[in-house]
This record gives sequence, structure tokens and C-alpha cells, in this order.
Amino acid sequence: MSHDVLVIGAGCAGMRAAIEAHDAGADVAVVSKLHPTRSHSGAAEGGINAALGNAKEDSPEAHAYDTVKGSDFLGDQDAIEVFAKEAPGDIYQLENWGAVFTRAEDGRLAQRPFGAAGSPRTIFAADITGHVLIQVLYEQLVKRNIKVYEEFFAWKLVEDDGRCQGVIAWDMLNGGLKAISGKSVILATGGAGRVYRVTTNAYACTGDGMAMALRLGLPLKDMEFMQFHPTTLYPTGILITEGCRGEGAYLINKDGERFMKKYAPNALELASRDVVSRSEQTEIDEGRGINGSVMLDLRHLGAERIISRLPGSRELAMTYAGVDPIYDPIPVRPGAHYHMGGVSTDIHGKTELEGLYAAGEVACVSVHGANRLGGNSLMETITFGRRAGRTAAEDAHFAPDAAVPDSALADAERELGELLGRSGGERPWQVREELGSSMLDNFGVFRREEQMSNEIEIIEKLRHRYNNVVVEDKGGVFNSDLTQAIELGYCLDLAACMVQAGVARKESRGAHARPHDYPTRDDDQFMKHSVTRWVDGAPKLDYAPVTVTKWQPTERTY
Amino acid sequence: MKVALKIWRSNSQTGERALREYEVDAPEWATLLDVLDLVKDRHDGSLAYRKSCRMTICGSCGMRMDGKTVLACRTRMYDIAEAGHIPVISAMGNMPVVKDLVTDMDSFWEKFKSVKPYVQPGYIEPPGGREHIISREQMSAIHKESLCINCGACVSECNAMESDPAFLGPHALAKAMRFVGDPRDSKRIDRLEEVSGHNGIHQCTRCYYCNERCPKGVDPRDAIAKLSAEAIKESIDSDMGAKHAKWFVTSAKTTGWLRETELVPKTQGVLASIKQAKFALELARHGKVPPPFPAHVAKNVKESRRLHGIVARQGRNGFAGIVQGEQAMAKLEHGHTGHSDRDPYGPGSFPRPYLPGEKREGAKA
Repeated sequence: MSHDVLVIGAGCAGMRAAIEAHDAGADVAVVSKLHPTRSHSGAAEGGINAALGNAKEDSPEAHAYDTVKGSDFLGDQDAIEVFAKEAPGDIYQLENWGAVFTRAEDGRLAQRPFGAAGSPRTIFAADITGHVLIQVLYEQLVKRNIKVYEEFFAWKLVEDDGRCQGVIAWDMLNGGLKAISGKSVILATGGAGRVYRVTTNAYACTGDGMAMALRLGLPLKDMEFMQFHPTTLYPTGILITEGCRGEGAYLINKDGERFMKKYAPNALELASRDVVSRSEQTEIDEGRGINGSVMLDLRHLGAERIISRLPGSRELAMTYAGVDPIYDPIPVRPGAHYHMGGVSTDIHGKTELEGLYAAGEVACVSVHGANRLGGNSLMETITFGRRAGRTAAEDAHFAPDAAVPDSALADAERELGELLGRSGGERPWQVREELGSSMLDNFGVFRREEQMSNEIEIIEKLRHRYNNVVVEDKGGVFNSDLTQAIELGYCLDLAACMVQAGVARKESRGAHARPHDYPTRDDDQFMKHSVTRWVDGAPKLDYAPVTVTKWQPTERTY
Repeated sequence: MKVALKIWRSNSQTGERALREYEVDAPEWATLLDVLDLVKDRHDGSLAYRKSCRMTICGSCGMRMDGKTVLACRTRMYDIAEAGHIPVISAMGNMPVVKDLVTDMDSFWEKFKSVKPYVQPGYIEPPGGREHIISREQMSAIHKESLCINCGACVSECNAMESDPAFLGPHALAKAMRFVGDPRDSKRIDRLEEVSGHNGIHQCTRCYYCNERCPKGVDPRDAIAKLSAEAIKESIDSDMGAKHAKWFVTSAKTTGWLRETELVPKTQGVLASIKQAKFALELARHGKVPPPFPAHVAKNVKESRRLHGIVARQGRNGFAGIVQGEQAMAKLEHGHTGHSDRDPYGPGSFPRPYLPGEKREGAKA
């Protein structure tokens, strides 16, 4: 099993990369632990940002600046400029492929306002934008007859001779480890929200690609920046889109007060996500919440608008909270949503290792810096997925044939045998629950020095316990007991990186908020990316400069 | 709360199959998926089922509960547990079982691929290298079909596929409709011809189980009806199913009643009808067939003809008419015509929002 370009992960970034690499003439295959349309990109709701100027005058420069400001000046401005400039073309491409986007009165693509955006810039399909994109990309994959290794669980990236050679994957339906090689390998495995107990992320979002790259010695960037989405449903953490606020919904506390007036007098509910999440958490912490939640009020929008523009959110609220937003406000709270950090790449998607690329949430280019704007992540998957696919295909042209060495497969077999050979000990679920709860408590919306230090110790202990966990299912067919155990290992590694980088960042920037000891941004010392590598069984922290092209940091208010 | 359930455990490699009962302690908001997670974590790590998003969008966790297909993540267990009922959980139907609740979906995807599930653009390029100009009305016509998450619930329930596994089935056909209704697609007629052929739309038995069990409101049976209406509009009507449907229309238009006696020859042709003459006479002898002559004409037949005329004049005789009806029905169903009598902030509501510093009506001092 050998290909020119091997894409790991089949969400929006992975499929977009595969399509581009195919169109560039490469023999492409996709490896995914889920069927492509089951990927979590499909759960994105609100929309995708590009300066089309359909609703109001807009420009890529304005989009770029909003993104730079939103990133709290930690985003790399060269990457952001490329991103904003190429986004409109990518949207037209998706539309031409058949994406069922919502239309404006004149038949062009409609655009709605979104948080911290200076103009209505968010293209959408009601509130199921991610679903529509994942379908259209899969349709294009089918059209091109691109090979997909469905339900293959990527376990180890393989390096040999200074290049990435491919991946060793577990065949979930039939059992057994398989080596699949690629001259170019693109990581597109998504985020790691499952490090937290309350998250909008799917069970599958366990940071597989980041952890595999980390283990290969590659640097992860800005790992301390986990975005907390302001409106996740109580109690499950299911996402209620920012589109609700884009359509005009209010956030209210238990007294009915629109509390955002206090925190962001101009932008109100449409301030940047980090700002809104902190405001909510403050309301909740100071006793003005209900059951650890605040309320998202859509009632004044009226039934017609809710049904036509936000049907998915209504369905979610009715199914998972028993609330019909036409009549009652929805209980929401901040929940882990999007990892700004990831595998460090350049603007072409290249990582430090020859032959390895990354795109989408797994990567950190960095477009989002310390805080991502709503609607920018779907756009990043498409624009940088395309760029990575193109680069990977072109490089594969000149690359030597790839092969996973037999010794690598033998090592993996041995490790698997050891893992499955254990018996009579703790099973992984307790470790998983303790990790998720402690991360939420100690590394959530607000961060305190002593809690973070405590969390480092907790993770260390959990990692120790993890080394002896027992996989009960010893079989080959659909052994999710095994894959879930491996995923937990990924989460533990990443959590260690995140908290270490968090303690060291002695400032408040974007999603990293330390109101008790370092309440302000410190550009002199910390306008730099954190860079984490795995050295001798532990994360090792370093820093790298931020690229500034046009915009010097200013105070960030909304 | 205590939740008990029985799960059909099986393994295609070992051939084992057994019904096992489990009981777990679950939070009151738990869904079937949450309960399965508890069973897997606390009782038996070898239990196999697919899951991912847990929010009705990835389509992974289709399975049957007491014989009906559900998404596990969408099924709340509170009422079931309170009632003391112990549901039986099993894998989806019309697909081979791989292990426990995991099915082999290869044939499901093969059928999907066979309808060429992608826009096939024609020669017309959108203006200025930008988006196509498509009205809201046109785009929303395929709104329902584009909601599909490929979970397989409709296929699991399909009675026609159970008797004839070669039938394209509700999932693939709903997907076909999504492209037939897309103004960007240039292969509408080819698609209609393909779905009207063998194993296509006319194999559907109209049991409506797919509509009933679809967790996203795609209503695959209605998509099949739309394909059928559109095909007949384009005179792709050589199949018996199409002839049968057409006769209903003709009959209603001419006499206001369904003339059953003529239904068989109009659908199956004269030769086939002669073969069934004996059966027909037998029916007639028992008074089951009304005399064909003189035709029974309804009193208000003119009204029926006028309706037929309106549909034809307004161009609603293809799928568009069904879409329009659907949208009207959806509004009725939700009880919303844009005007609600209920004050959303009225008595019994959560407090009306107010801005800090603003005077609140009726606020306690």
C-alpha cells in the first residue's frame, strides 16, 4: 500500500487536500478512523468567512485585520494575509462544486454578521454549514474516485532516512496493523477537545495527529491556547452556534440582564469569543448564573426567523436540553471548542520534517494566534487544506519512493502485543474522566498559577496510571476498547504540553486568561509563539517569533 | 437513574450470537449512547458500536431499539427507564452485522455512489468566476434532501430492500433527488432516466418507514415521490409504476373518481390484462368491481378539472409542487405562520432581557 500523497484524516482539511493533490496529478489516498462524512468538521454550524462583499462593502484587508486583532496579535500576519486573500476564491469553488449555501434576496451568497468581524462576512448554510461542506467535499472525493482507507486508525507516523515515510494504522473492521506509505504525508486529524470533559468536540477529537507528530520529535506551537466557545449546551457541551448571536440573540443572566453590556459595550454579544466566554464565566462565578449556566435568548427573533435560519440549533436545544428556543431561552456555558495550537507549519503546510505536512485544526500556521474568530476555522481548513494538498503533490513529484521499514512495523506489533497482553488492572475510562474533569477545573476559561501547577502533577500521575491500563477486548474486529485506549494516551501527552506552556506564559492573551496574577497582555515578553517538543519522556518548552507584516499590536477592545 | 437494556451481541468472525442484559446507573439526561458508553466502560469493554459527534450530525450511531431504527445519541432514556421497560438493542437491518451493533455499510455506500452523487456541471459558467445566481426558492427546494447525514436509518427500515436487496433504496434515491433539484446540475434528465429504471423509484412500496425513522427529517419517501413526479413531467413514464400513477391523474381529471376497472389495462397493458380476465370476472361476480359503463362521474368534477388546470398552468406538476406543499405543511406542523399570539416574554416566561442601568418594568425594588 503505497501512494504519492497520503492524507490522514477526512474532515474538511483532509478532503480538500486530497482533492487538490489529486487534481495536481498525484496518486492520493486518505486514511481515516471514521467514514469521511462522519468527521467532526460536519458539526460546524455557523459559517465560513470570506470577504465577498455581498452583504456590505468588505475587503480581504479588513478580514485580515479583524483576524489579526482577534488573534490578540499572536497570529502570523503573512499567513493571515494569504488566508484572507485566497478565501473568496475558495468559497466560489465550493459553491461551484454544489455546496448548498443560503442565498441572499438577489440570488448571490448570503453573508451574516459574526463575532468580532467588521462586516457581515460569514457565508452559511442555515446553521449546518459544516455538514454542507463535508457532504460537498465527499461528493468531490467520490467523483474523483479517490481511495479512502475507511475506519483505519492511524497509530504511528514513520520517519526513516530523514523523511516521513507513511503511517502504521490499525484496521478497525478486520483487525491487524497495516503499513501505508506516502511520499508526502498530510496530517489533517483535527483537534483535541476531548482533553476536556465539557467540549463541543466529538468523541473522535483526541488530537491523534498532534500526538503522533510530537512523538516523532516535531514541534507543537501555541498549545496553551484552547478556545472556549461561549454557547455550549448545558449539560452536554453540545455546540449552539455563534450564528444565533449573529442573528441577534441575547445573552442574559438569571435576572434577565444583558450582561455583555458591562463587558463589551459596543459589540455586546458579538464580541470576540474569548471575551464572551470570560464574561459568562464571571457571571456564573459571581452567582448570577443558573445551574452553572447563563441563558441564550432567541425569543424576540420570532418563530419564522428561528425556523428558517436556525433550525439545527432549535433541534439541538429541543433534543438535548428539552427547551424550544421559540418560547424559552437556552441554558449555555463556555466549553472547550477549538485548539488554536497544533503542529507547527509554514504557509504551504510544510512541517519541520521532510515529506510531512499538516492542515486544519491539527496544524498551527498560525492564522488564529491566541484566539480564533468564529467562521475562520472552516475557511482555514479549505484554504490551507488546498495549499497543503498542492504543495504535497508537487513535492511528491521529486521525492524518493516511500516505504515503511519492516522494523517499524515490527516495533509497532511488539508495542501492540504488550498493550493487549496486560491483564488484571485499571481500565482506561477512569483516567479519561479524571483528565477531562481536572483539565476543566484547572486549565479552563480562567487560569491560576497554583491550579496549573497542580494540574501538571495530576497529569503526571494519570500518565503513570495510563502506562498500566488494561484493554479488555483482545479481539481484532472493531476493537474500540483498543483504539479508545490509544486515544487516551494521545490526550495525556497533549494535556501535559498545554499546561506546561500555560504556566510559562505569564500574561493574559486571547484564550489564555490569568486575571489573578497577570491580567494584561505583555507584548515585550510574550508576543511570541510557544514551541513544545517531546524530549526524554516529557514536554520541553521553547519560543519562536511572531511574523508581523503591517499591523503593530494595539489594545484590543470590542 | 437505573437503566437496564438487552443487547444482541454478535461477532462475525467467531459466529457467536447472544442476547445479554446490562444495568447501569446513568444521569437523567442520558441518551442511549451515554448508556452504551457506561456499559462499555463499567461492564464490558468488548461491546462494539460506532459513535462520534453525539449530536445528530455525524450519523455514526444508527441501531435498532425494540426493532425500530434510532440514532443512539438522539434517544433519551429517561421515560423508558422510568416506565421500567427494558429495551432490546440490535444492529441496523438490511446490512450484514460485523460485530454487536456495528454493521458492514459497503453496499449502502455502493448504492450511494451509483447515483453519481456530485454536481455534474454543464457548459454554463457562473458570472465572473463567482457564485451561480440561484434564488432562495430554488435553493431551498433541495433543503430537505441536503440534510441527509448518511446514517442508514432509512435503509435499515426499508421493506422494499428487504424483499429485493438490489433496490437502490431510500438513501441513494434521496441523494439523487438532491441533484435533480439542483439548478447547477446539467444531468437532470439522465438522472431521472436512471432512477426510473430497474431497481429504481418504482420499486418503492410506499410503506413510509423511511420517513418515519429518518432522524433528520429528510423524508426519503417524499424525495422518491418528487423524482417520480419530475420523471413523469419529463415523459419518462414507460415503467408500470409511472403508468399506474398517471392513470390516477387522468381518471381524477376526467371523472373525478378513480376508475379501477381501467387501472389494470392502463398500467400493465391490454395483453397482461387479458391474462387476468378470469380473476377480474371472479371479482365482478363477488361484487368487487363496479360496472365500467357508464362511467361514474363525480358531481363536482369541474372542480377537479380546474385544480388540474391550475397545477399545469403554474408549472407545479413536477417536484416543485411537492416541495411547495411540504413547506406549507411544515409551517402548519410547527403551528407558526409568522404570527404567534403568545408573548414570548409574557407570564411564566424567563425574565425579559434588559440592559444594565435600564429601568425594569415591574421589577422588585
